[in-house]
Amino acid sequence: MAESKLKRTQRENHKRYKEDVKREGKPFFPYAMFHDTIMALVVVLVIIALACVWYFTAKHAKDGVGALGPLTSAKADPGTTSFVPRPDWFFYFLFYLLRVFKWPDSVFLGTVGIPTILLVLLIGLPFYDRRTERRLLRRPVAIVTAILVVLSMGVLTWKGAIAKESVGAENVQFVPAWAKKQGFEDNAKAVAGAKVFASLTCMTCHAYLGAGSSGPGPDLSAIAKGGRGAQGFADYVAQPSKFGNNVMPAFADIGADNLAALGEFLNASKGATATKK
Amino acid sequence: MAPKSARRRQLEAAALYPLDWVEERTGLVGGIKYFLFRHVPRDTNWMQTLGAATLTAFLVQTVTGVFLAMYYKPDPQNAYSSIQHITHEVTLGWLVRGMHKWGASVFIILMFFHMARVFLFGAYKYPRELNWIVGSLLLVLGMLEGFTGYLLPWDQTAYWATAVGINLNATAPFLGPFLANFLQGGAQIGPDTIARFYSLHMLLIPGGLIGLIVLHMYLVVRLGVTSPPWSPTAAGRERPDESKPEGARQGLIRSGDGQDEGH
Ligand code: HEM
Repeated sequence: MAESKLKRTQRENHKRYKEDVKREGKPFFPYAMFHDTIMALVVVLVIIALACVWYFTAKHAKDGVGALGPLTSAKADPGTTSFVPRPDWFFYFLFYLLRVFKWPDSVFLGTVGIPTILLVLLIGLPFYDRRTERRLLRRPVAIVTAILVVLSMGVLTWKGAIAKESVGAENVQFVPAWAKKQGFEDNAKAVAGAKVFASLTCMTCHAYLGAGSSGPGPDLSAIAKGGRGAQGFADYVAQPSKFGNNVMPAFADIGADNLAALGEFLNASKGATATKK
Repeated sequence: MAPKSARRRQLEAAALYPLDWVEERTGLVGGIKYFLFRHVPRDTNWMQTLGAATLTAFLVQTVTGVFLAMYYKPDPQNAYSSIQHITHEVTLGWLVRGMHKWGASVFIILMFFHMARVFLFGAYKYPRELNWIVGSLLLVLGMLEGFTGYLLPWDQTAYWATAVGINLNATAPFLGPFLANFLQGGAQIGPDTIARFYSLHMLLIPGGLIGLIVLHMYLVVRLGVTSPPWSPTAAGRERPDESKPEGARQGLIRSGDGQDEGH
C-alpha cells in the first residue's frame, strides 16, 4: 500500500512538473542555451590556459619542470631502480587507501572491496533514497553524507598527493645506520644488498626501520624471522607472483648479483630495534 | 509589418528548400526544432550549465585526440619519441597535447561537479533514476579513459603507474588475474600492452562514452531538467491551494516574474 502511494505521488509530481514547464517555462534556445554557451567558452579557455601555462613555464624553467610539472619525464625504462610510481591525481584517493590497508591480509579491501562498495552505493543511490523530498534542508541525512563523502575524498586525495615518497637517493643515506642497528656492518654483501634495497622502488611500498612507506607491503625490518633464507628471499623478490603475491612487481631484471645481495640483506634483517612508523 | 513581396517569398522558399528536403526524408529538422524550442523551467541557474560544460570538455578531448592520433605511434620504440615530436616540432603540437592532457583533468573535475549539482538538487529521484545510473557509468568510463591514456606517453611516470595499476587489478578475486593478464598482454608491460591500452583508449571506451552520452541527453530532453528545489517558482511545486489550481498558479506566476533573478 505505502509503495503504491509513493508511486502515485511521484507520478503526480512529475505530471505537475511537465505542465508547469509547458506553461511557465522558457524555451531552451536562446535562454538556457545562452548560459550553456558561455560556460562552454569558459571551459575551452581554461583548458587552453592550462596548456599554455604548462608548456611555457616548463619550457623556460632550467630543470624543465614548470608550474604544472614537466612536459614529460624520462623515457620508460623497465630496468629502473628508483622511480616512485604515481597514478594520475584522480586515483590518489584509491592509492592512499592502499596505505591504509596493509598487505597481505587486507590489501584486497583497498584495491577491490572498498571501490566496489562505493560504486554500488553510488549507482544504487536513487533506489535506497526513495523520498520525494528534494529540498536540501529537509534531507539532513543526505547533507551529512555528502559532507562526509566530500571531506573524506578530499583528505584521501590530499594525503595521496603528499604521501611521503621515499626517494632512493635519500634512503641510501640510511644504510650505515641500518647496518649498525641490525648488526650486519661486517657483512659486505648484506650492506650492498641494503643499498640495492634503498635505491630500488622497494620503499615506495615497504617500510624499513621507520623509513619508507607503511603500505601496501609489510614492514621488512624483521623479515628474516620469516625464515626464507637468503636464497629464498632472492627467489621471492625475483618473481613474487610465484609465491602467490600478485601485487608486488617482479624484480628479476635487476640481475643475479643484486638479487643475491638483496637476499643476504633481508636475511640479515632481524629487527634488532625495529620501530614502526 | 508589410506583407512580404513575391520575390522575397520566393527567396525564402529557395533558402529553406534544402531544410525541407531533409525534413521530408528524415524528420531531423523537426527533431532539432523540438530540441531547441522545448521549454525548460524558467528558474534554471548556472549550476545547471555544468552538464554542458562536461560535454564541452569531452568534445575538446575528442577533437584534440583525433589530431594526436595522427602523430602518435603506439609501440615502445616510437611512442616516447612521437610524443616528443608532437610537443617540440609539430606546429601547435604542444597546444593540442597540452589541451588533451589538461582537458582530461578538467573533464573529470567537471563530471564530479555536475554530479554534485545533481545530488544537491535531488535530481536523481523519480523519474530520473536511470539517468543517474547512466551518469555513474559515464564517471567510471571517464576514469578508465584516464587510466588507459596515462600509459601512452611511455615515460617513467606512465610506465610505473601502469605497472602498479595492473598489479592492483590482479588482486581482485576470480576476474582479477584474468583482467590483469588481458591488459598487460604478455609477461611484461611492452608492445602488446601499449597496443591494448591504445585501442581501449581511443576506440572502446570513447565509443561507450559517446553512446552513453547520447542516451544521457535523450533522457534529459525527454524527462526535462529539474528546477532548483528551493525556488519559489519551481516547476512541479506543490500548490498551497490545490482546490483552485488555476488561480493559485496565476498568482504565483506573477510573483515569480517579479523576483526572477536568473536572467
Ligand atoms: C560525460 C559525462 C556527462 C555529461 C556530458 C553529462 C551531461 C549532462 C547534461 C548536459 C545534462 C542537462 C542538465 C545539466 O546540464 O545539468 C545532464 C543532466 C543530468 N545528469 Fe549528466 N552528464 C555527465 C555525467 C553525469 C554523471 C557522472 C551523473 C551522476 C552520476 C549524471 C547525472 C545526471 C542526471 C541525473 C541529470 C538530470 C538532472 C536534472 O534533470 O536536473 N551525469 N547531464
